[in-house]
Amino acid sequence: MRPSLAALGTTAAAALVLAVLPFGLSGYHQALAAQVATFFISILGLNILTGYTGQISIGHGAFMAIGGYTTAVLSRDHHTDLVVTMAAAFFLCFLCGLLVGLPALRLSGVYLALATFALAVSVPQIPLKFSSYLGGSGGVQSAKTVSHLWLYAVSWSAAAVMFAVAWLVLRGRTGRAFRAIRDSEVAATSSGVALPVYKTLAFGISAAFAGVAGSLFVIGTNGFAQPSEFGVLLSLQILIGAAVAGLGSLWGVIVGAAFVGLLPTISSDVPVIGSSHGQDVVFGVIVIAVMLLLPTGFAGLLHRLARSRARA
Amino acid sequence: MGRKGRFLIVVAGLVLAAVSATAAFGAHSSDPGITKTSIHIGGTFPLTGVASAYKTIPAAETAYFAYVNDHGGVNGRKIDFTVVDDGYNPAQTVPAVQKLVEQDKVFALMGDLGTAPGLATWGYANAHKVPQVFLATGDSFWGFCAHKSCQGSPKPYTIGWQPDYPSEGRLYGRYIAQNMPNAKIGIIFQNDAFGKNYITGLKQGLGAKKSLIVDQEGFNATDTTVTQQILALKAKGADTLFIVATPGQAIASLVTATKIGWSPTTFLANVSNIRPFLLAAAKAGANLDGLISSGYVAPMNDPNNAGNKLGKSIIGQYAPTLSADYELGDSNLMYGLGVAWTFVYALQHAGKNPTRASLEQALHSMNTGGNPFVYPGIKIQTSATDNFPIEQLIMNKWSGGPGGAMQPLGKLQNTGR
Amino acid sequence: MVDLARRLPIRQQRLPASPVILLLAAACIFLVVGCLQSSIFAQQTVAGLATGVVYGSLALALVLIYRATEVINFAQGEMAMACVYIAYQLIQWGFSYWAAFFVTLPIAFLLGMAIEATLIRPVQHRSVIAVVIVTVGLFILIDGLVAWKWGADIKFMPSPFGNRIYHVGSVAIARQDIGTIIITLFTVVLLWALFRFTKLGLGMRAAALRPAAASLAGVRVDWMLAVGWGLAALLGAVAGLMAEPSQFVLQPTLMQPILLYGFAAAVLGGLESPAGAVIGGVAIGIFLNLVGQYVHFVTSELRQPFAFAVLLAVLLVKPTGLFGRRRIRKV
Repeated sequence: MRPSLAALGTTAAAALVLAVLPFGLSGYHQALAAQVATFFISILGLNILTGYTGQISIGHGAFMAIGGYTTAVLSRDHHTDLVVTMAAAFFLCFLCGLLVGLPALRLSGVYLALATFALAVSVPQIPLKFSSYLGGSGGVQSAKTVSHLWLYAVSWSAAAVMFAVAWLVLRGRTGRAFRAIRDSEVAATSSGVALPVYKTLAFGISAAFAGVAGSLFVIGTNGFAQPSEFGVLLSLQILIGAAVAGLGSLWGVIVGAAFVGLLPTISSDVPVIGSSHGQDVVFGVIVIAVMLLLPTGFAGLLHRLARSRARA
Repeated sequence: MGRKGRFLIVVAGLVLAAVSATAAFGAHSSDPGITKTSIHIGGTFPLTGVASAYKTIPAAETAYFAYVNDHGGVNGRKIDFTVVDDGYNPAQTVPAVQKLVEQDKVFALMGDLGTAPGLATWGYANAHKVPQVFLATGDSFWGFCAHKSCQGSPKPYTIGWQPDYPSEGRLYGRYIAQNMPNAKIGIIFQNDAFGKNYITGLKQGLGAKKSLIVDQEGFNATDTTVTQQILALKAKGADTLFIVATPGQAIASLVTATKIGWSPTTFLANVSNIRPFLLAAAKAGANLDGLISSGYVAPMNDPNNAGNKLGKSIIGQYAPTLSADYELGDSNLMYGLGVAWTFVYALQHAGKNPTRASLEQALHSMNTGGNPFVYPGIKIQTSATDNFPIEQLIMNKWSGGPGGAMQPLGKLQNTGR
Repeated sequence: MVDLARRLPIRQQRLPASPVILLLAAACIFLVVGCLQSSIFAQQTVAGLATGVVYGSLALALVLIYRATEVINFAQGEMAMACVYIAYQLIQWGFSYWAAFFVTLPIAFLLGMAIEATLIRPVQHRSVIAVVIVTVGLFILIDGLVAWKWGADIKFMPSPFGNRIYHVGSVAIARQDIGTIIITLFTVVLLWALFRFTKLGLGMRAAALRPAAASLAGVRVDWMLAVGWGLAALLGAVAGLMAEPSQFVLQPTLMQPILLYGFAAAVLGGLESPAGAVIGGVAIGIFLNLVGQYVHFVTSELRQPFAFAVLLAVLLVKPTGLFGRRRIRKV
């Protein structure tokens, strides 16, 4: 994965746009753009796991929940700086990801899908059980709330850092091992890739990304963490974002993130489909259409366009 | 009077004029969402999802505002009410409220439904000094936290409307302690803050008789069957059942109890005391006679009640699709009318040119017995130290079999605190 | 038919391994003794059985699809829910409950076939991930369509079995529960017979197990897979129509908890075993009720996590479930 000049240029341009953007946006739109960054990070994480290593997860909302509660609880009890809590969420979720990754070694395909789905359903129940510490249905309120500009700046900075991390991980030995596992586990093993190590590692890294996203998600929800924010739908949204982005490529992620982050808001202003049911319909139709018509997602489309231009 | 005195009077007069000019100017330049002819407010409601049974509330509120607008509005201002769906998910409530405040520039938030959505947004509303008026939830936070520091700061801009859940629980507790000293109480409750609030109140009301509670069984908000819990309560020998549930599970509890051949004296939390749902429970086999609950809105089965007559005509004219629900006795409609009436009342008492601050003041000095949509005799009262608008309840009891209705049980009671 | 059977190497379903049989026998004895000892135990068991058969029949629908196309259909529950709304609409138009019931089933069948042919087939051979994402999209789409057409608020349907209650000793059994159990099991047996004794069933099994050989023998494999989806949708519709009266209300979330338990049941039974799915569903229904009654740590918040902990444990200890056969992974 040697960065081409074009890729570097695109990245720089994107960074520039994102840096200038908040000055042209209202506070509300800054918050909305921050939400896109949140999805960006979580989709990036899922892409490392599903797109690059070939392990499906329908449970990334669970890791977001863990990250989000880490932030809220640390802030509530220790007044920890919010950026520090994001780092804490990263490491805690990395560990949780490793823990989930270990049993996941024995599972693949639909079994892994079901097991991770179980995770998505079960984890949000835990704060309800341990309500004295985790707030139950009353939720946990962070000690600090932030301005829209802070949220925007920190979210996109975090997104940039995570993107760099993903890129570094994927371009080196680890990334090659991941892709080898995705393409053929048997071939990977026979060429010396330690399957259990790398498969578990992929889960850990991916979960850590989701943890950071969850942390930002809670900060963006006025610092309030509550179980119903992390429903199954959140996990499905991340998966759908990854599919729209295109599995196995980093360049489409921004489109996937914008899709799941902005569609509900945009479509709520369109008559007829303005109701949230209408949104669901649009959401479902687009997901299915992308899977049927653009099997490699938006990244694949870009790739094909780039190739056809190069040929011309 | 000497020259000096006259000079002082002139100065004082000038200062006074300047102050009042500033005040007037302040009032004019003041807050977003309000002009000479209009006032824009908004609210978040679960139009979809698990709690969508309550979606008739904002519909009734919209109808009442339309009625008020057709009768000249409030001090010449028409009320423009934006209803936003949050699916009962706090993660959706937050952006929805931000959009209302920052994009739509509403003057106030009105009627936001649900405890968790309220908790997710009250910090924001108070930080921006946007009145968050009459949250549709009976949690006691909204009353206590106007002065007390909750989650880091007092929340004077937030206020509820209905009697809080512990108050209602206390009422049933006192009733049981007085009238059923040998009861064996089994509780089935939604296992969250809503359910636990009721149990706290019930225990307070029972006082020394707390030991009458023989068992309590929880269920999740997303559970669809409650058979296991009902069976367990019966097995513990309970002869009195207290159902703390939203309509779906309340119906399931009532029907299941009958289906396993159990006929305890049943108390039902009034969030589910909504006649169309009870009728459906009866149709599915539940025996409702003797079911005890409570209420605070005008009786919809009393043809002579003024609020009922007015409500019927307003719904008939401004929300005709809901007339059938009204006929069935959907008390959510009456609830919405009552809330909207109270909002208009508060707005009228917030001065000729209301500001967010003057509305907040008005909300903390309400005193009226004039709301036609609440039970006759209920006073809506708040003060600098009391942020609970309604603190009276009328108990009621079902009679008339499967097609029957709730009838008042005793007199209007103060819930006490 | 005999000819086809001889040419295709289709093994009949073998009996499960003997430890599993022993385990089941032990469980049955435990339940019977428990029921005789304590009426609350009996009451919880009967209630668990009635909810369990519904989990089981949805699990069976999942298994049918898994056997036909090796995918898990995340939209199975929502397809069933949509069928219940179709029945609801028919009843609104004046159909009796049972007329609506029997009109809905062929609609469900066609719906299932159409979904397979238009949405699943194009992505079928790409990857498991692609198919899963399509079914997830379908889940959201159906949810939105139903709520759009009928609204998300609570609706009511007439009760199919009436409200009578029978008493056996001190145990009360609702006619509703008996009806649910009978209808569900009857459907399952009918499907089993279809697979076992008809040419269509044989063709379907052949298409699922040995697609290449089957198509050489003249079986239209694509067609057979679509029929498999259709039957699964039909079975799901029965599960939905039986689930609705036990919840007393109809809302778009009707099947979501049932789908979760259906997953658990299907995995417990081994994903490939129809009998395993049904037994798994019943086991989970009864088990959860008894745990709720006797294990006090498992309060309501922990019911689903607990069910899934069991699912995960089964997956780890015996990935093929109780009745599944080990598959040899081909390189």
